[in-house]
Amino acid sequence: MRKSKIIMLMFITLLAVSLAGCIDGSGKTEESEGSTGSTGGENVVNIGYSGPLSGAAAYYGENTLNGLKMAAEEINETGFEVDGETYKLNIIGLDDKYLPNETAANARRLVQENNTPIIFTPHSGGIYALQVFNEQENFLIGAYSSEPAITEGGNSLTVRIPPSYHGYVEPFTEYSMERFGKKLAAIPPVTQYGQDWAEELIPHWEEQGGEVVYESYVDFSKDTDFFTLLTNALEGDPDVLFIGGPSEPTANIAMQARELGFEGGFIIMDQAKLDEMKNITEIFEPLEGSIGTVPLIYSDYPGTDEFVEKYREKFGKDPGSEAGFHYVSMYIFVEAMKAAGNVEDAKVIHENIQAGLDALPDDKKVYEIPSIDENGAFEIPTRISTVEDGEIVSTDIK
Amino acid sequence: MEILIQQLFNGLTIGSIYSLVALGLTLVYGILHIPNFAHGAIYMIGGYITLTMMTYVGVNYWISIAVSIIVVGVLSVLMERLVFHPLRNTIIINNKIAAIGILLFLEALAQLIWGADFRQMSSPYNQVLNLFGVTFTVQRLLIIVAAIVVMVLLYLFLKKTFIGRTIIAMSQNREGAFLVGINANKVAMLTFFVAGALAAIAASLTSPINLVFPGMGHLVILKAFVIIIIGGMGSIPGAILGGYLLGFTESIGATYISGDYKDIIAFILLIIILTIKPNGIFAKGEH
Repeated sequence: MRKSKIIMLMFITLLAVSLAGCIDGSGKTEESEGSTGSTGGENVVNIGYSGPLSGAAAYYGENTLNGLKMAAEEINETGFEVDGETYKLNIIGLDDKYLPNETAANARRLVQENNTPIIFTPHSGGIYALQVFNEQENFLIGAYSSEPAITEGGNSLTVRIPPSYHGYVEPFTEYSMERFGKKLAAIPPVTQYGQDWAEELIPHWEEQGGEVVYESYVDFSKDTDFFTLLTNALEGDPDVLFIGGPSEPTANIAMQARELGFEGGFIIMDQAKLDEMKNITEIFEPLEGSIGTVPLIYSDYPGTDEFVEKYREKFGKDPGSEAGFHYVSMYIFVEAMKAAGNVEDAKVIHENIQAGLDALPDDKKVYEIPSIDENGAFEIPTRISTVEDGEIVSTDIK
Repeated sequence: MEILIQQLFNGLTIGSIYSLVALGLTLVYGILHIPNFAHGAIYMIGGYITLTMMTYVGVNYWISIAVSIIVVGVLSVLMERLVFHPLRNTIIINNKIAAIGILLFLEALAQLIWGADFRQMSSPYNQVLNLFGVTFTVQRLLIIVAAIVVMVLLYLFLKKTFIGRTIIAMSQNREGAFLVGINANKVAMLTFFVAGALAAIAASLTSPINLVFPGMGHLVILKAFVIIIIGGMGSIPGAILGGYLLGFTESIGATYISGDYKDIIAFILLIIILTIKPNGIFAKGEH
């Protein structure tokens, strides 16, 4: 075979692999019912969503959208009243395959075709892409990412929903150093988010007198097996492993580290959840000494139990924090619209978010969110979980 | 020294998987000259069928693999009958596009049937062995041994049985094979069946050490293409050698050069080999 043919073949292979991520590229999950306003005697507010609904992160995307849909269904049972008129919600979910450019294209479509005042997106890349034009086109971003930079850039129409990872670095470092020792091997995922986390954690670890014995990245979209990486990471005899990514592959890494004889603790990036990791490890023993965020099902906010129960009934599985946060934010935005007396102008809705937080009924408080800061980030007291003697222990951080 | 042995073992494990996947790919290429992009999706379906048999039907690991081999083999034959066969007289690009289409279809189908979440396949062979400071798990040893057994069986099938030899004959010289009365349809179907079976075996063996999810085929398919290009398109010894070569390059490269550059190292290897032997190590015809 000639060389040109080989090159052609490789090109097509690459194309095929990249195309494979594009299944159902522009597939809408739900048809819109006209733009905001009156359709068939009923007032409808369209709420946009753009997230990964196909490809490697589809599971994550589905969970976030589930939270929104569940809230909307409940709200639509009676509708909500703004300025004397009753409105219902219509969630329009579009697939962006985790690609920021697709998020931007989806958002333009949502705004132009459906006149959505709020668009949710669950990844930092997509949020950055929307921040380029959201002020100009006047829509609010329901930003689900713990990346603190998304609200520090001064965008006036962004609401950052989950707590920033900034708050985790200190308690994670302190706990792991005290319990296990000063040697850290860092193998976060190769994503932008993983790299940002590492850049925050590693300097802090060293400042506290720790030593980083190994540093590399794991690529969940390319590696079939983690033994090679882990063998190298454990060569320096670390006390603590820094890992992260989607819960299930992260759990897999933890298991393989144990198989290779690792006895220290794990610092787990906030993307992975301890309860979901347990689905893979079956028991908490392999995760002994892990420190991470508090799984929703182990939280005890006023509305958590009811939400968890309803979610289990509807979807047949435990909800993660992404579903919980989307659910509660949908309620908060509705309360904000009520307080604003407006369902169209993102600016006015944004100004009334604090009023919305204050008006949120107790039984909907899947998370307790007392306030929103001046940059548009929800201020949530940091809580962390550790695995001690095979059980999850949650602590508040002051 | 221990780390070298451990990494050789790791390279052998991953190389075995690569080889099995690349073998299916190279067989199909050898006969029909189709670069079967859907092979990764076939691999993924293999993983799901085994998982479904184990968790929902509740039969043991080995029976599940056997069912998976048959189901995926038949699926692979159907793919040949329904898609590639009707396209046999058109230009080659149609086959390539059709293969991409099948890939997209199968992935979306898997997501529809089994959902997008990660599933775990728990094999009965989770035991960890520690010999001379090197860690083995029984499942990993199983991967290595099973891969060798499958390769030996494939070799015997292709060299010693009559129908196996028709496959070799077709790949060596199409017209010649027709002239001696070999039924091209049968050979094409048989080849697709064997390729599907190999993918099912590879996926069933690997799944316990990784996870089962709709995108799992992507992890191996790009590498399998690299392997068959290194080994020579359509060459069986090339696919085996290329698979192990890539496995060892990754594990040794990650250890002694840099973990972040292991894919670069593998692709540099590809470029070097193609510079010296533009048609791959075992160019076509040297079976």
